Amino acid sequence: MTLATVAIDADRAYPPRLSDFTQTFWSALGQGRWQTSCCKACGKQTFPPKPVCPHCWSTEIEWTELSPRGTLYSWTRIHAAPAVFAAESPYACGIVDLDNGIRLACRLVERDDRPLAVGQPVEMVVLQYRDGPLFAARPAD
Amino acid sequence: MSRNVAIIGASAIPVGRHQTADDAALQTLEHEIMTRLVVEAVRDAGVDKQDIQSLVFTLPRPYTRQKYFHTFLMGQLRLSCRGNVMEVMGNGMTAALAFDQACNDIMLGRSNVSLALGINMESAVSAAEHMMSSMRTTGDVDFHTSAGFTPIAWYAMDAMRYMHEHGATREQLGSVAVKNRHHASLNPLAQYRKPITLEEVVGQRPIVEPLGLYDVPPRGDGAACLVLASEDVAKELGRPYVLVRGRGFCHDGTHQISDVPNDMIAFTSARQAAATAYEQAGLSPADIDVAELYAPCTIVEVLVSEALGLVPSGQGARAAFEGETRLGGRIPISTSGGLTSRGHPAYVTSLYNYVELAEQLRGRAGERQVANARFGIATGELGNYNAALIHVLEAKP
Repeated sequence: MTLATVAIDADRAYPPRLSDFTQTFWSALGQGRWQTSCCKACGKQTFPPKPVCPHCWSTEIEWTELSPRGTLYSWTRIHAAPAVFAAESPYACGIVDLDNGIRLACRLVERDDRPLAVGQPVEMVVLQYRDGPLFAARPAD
Repeated sequence: MSRNVAIIGASAIPVGRHQTADDAALQTLEHEIMTRLVVEAVRDAGVDKQDIQSLVFTLPRPYTRQKYFHTFLMGQLRLSCRGNVMEVMGNGMTAALAFDQACNDIMLGRSNVSLALGINMESAVSAAEHMMSSMRTTGDVDFHTSAGFTPIAWYAMDAMRYMHEHGATREQLGSVAVKNRHHASLNPLAQYRKPITLEEVVGQRPIVEPLGLYDVPPRGDGAACLVLASEDVAKELGRPYVLVRGRGFCHDGTHQISDVPNDMIAFTSARQAAATAYEQAGLSPADIDVAELYAPCTIVEVLVSEALGLVPSGQGARAAFEGETRLGGRIPISTSGGLTSRGHPAYVTSLYNYVELAEQLRGRAGERQVANARFGIATGELGNYNAALIHVLEAKP
């Protein structure tokens, strides 16, 4: 299963750096695959992906799928933005509890027919910028 | 070995816009402010220059041209020390760490008199430019900053969650700003002193929803100096002093957000650090007479007041709205005016909180004096209260 993609005709305002380890995440995301690191020793996923398991400190890591759906734990709309994000403001960001038990923070894509609200179901999407992908969530039906 | 630490002197400049633009003909120089403050605080303490054997400085902002500011100042004052001279940095916790380390130097016997001091100059740099740096301090610079998160955006999400869970209203949160502005109107060190109404607070433009301009801290410059001493020294001076009764620290092992879902607005590090500090002091929340909290936004004051047990969980916003945390109320909080009105020169903010408690607990707070104030509590934090450093203080008249 791949995530829906939203094309954005701009470059990312503050693109993430890639490492030998994280490029696996970002290249997969660019193809709509939504995954993170999972510890082979204790079986726990973590997000953002990490080469060392924060729970048991094992370095035996594999890539496993994340849930594409979750619930909005909280959100805000940022009006006072850093200089590089000024052109995009106001924009919404939030905290999502994925259905498989991972909490993350990301940009939110707003929908006119589904105003943002704490507790509402959301789906993860890929924001496909000209220079690469970012992940985001938007209200689900 | 057990040595008690006392606050015996304090000085500060009013928080405000002190930093000059790069093209101004006359510049405000940080060391000129700082040397005057040291002299003032040491006079207030009644000790001699040679008694000072340790100095712990807060790291200046990168906009301060003089690098190695701390050792530069040693030269400006011809201070020679055998205890410690250092600069500390811990984001929002910076000034609390400076105070804590100065306490350590006394407890370890490295000095009998220590200074905790620093200056934070940033107001000539625009908020949008300053945020280019501050956005990299909260969250993961690759996975969060890329989405546009800013430091106070995390507090805004606390507010949204708190309103959802407890039915708190914008008006209840806004009442914290009104209350703190009233306190600031009585504090000569405060940045904004003109009283404001709840209608004005709620009517301000949004900054990070649901928080508006008056729910978030203004930007400003500040500098302060605390003189700490062993209690033996404090007693010999024969003047009122403030005893450090308890200290607690906790880092919850997360940075900004836990990927294992938790109760984000419980501020568990503050709860744990407070429990440690109360236990060390042999006190309970009910004993506290005045609290100076590191609370950059209205919502943060509400959540910290709950985490410290000063008000019941889920009742902080209501308590503020009903006046419990106002001067004259059951438990006055942020009598200085707090970060929203006294001001928030971030790296020295906690120094101002200790200055306020030093004034309150020595009975020198004038119009904003909390009657018979005996016990005070101060907090420092970083992230979204992922870590907290808490001190419980006692008046020794």
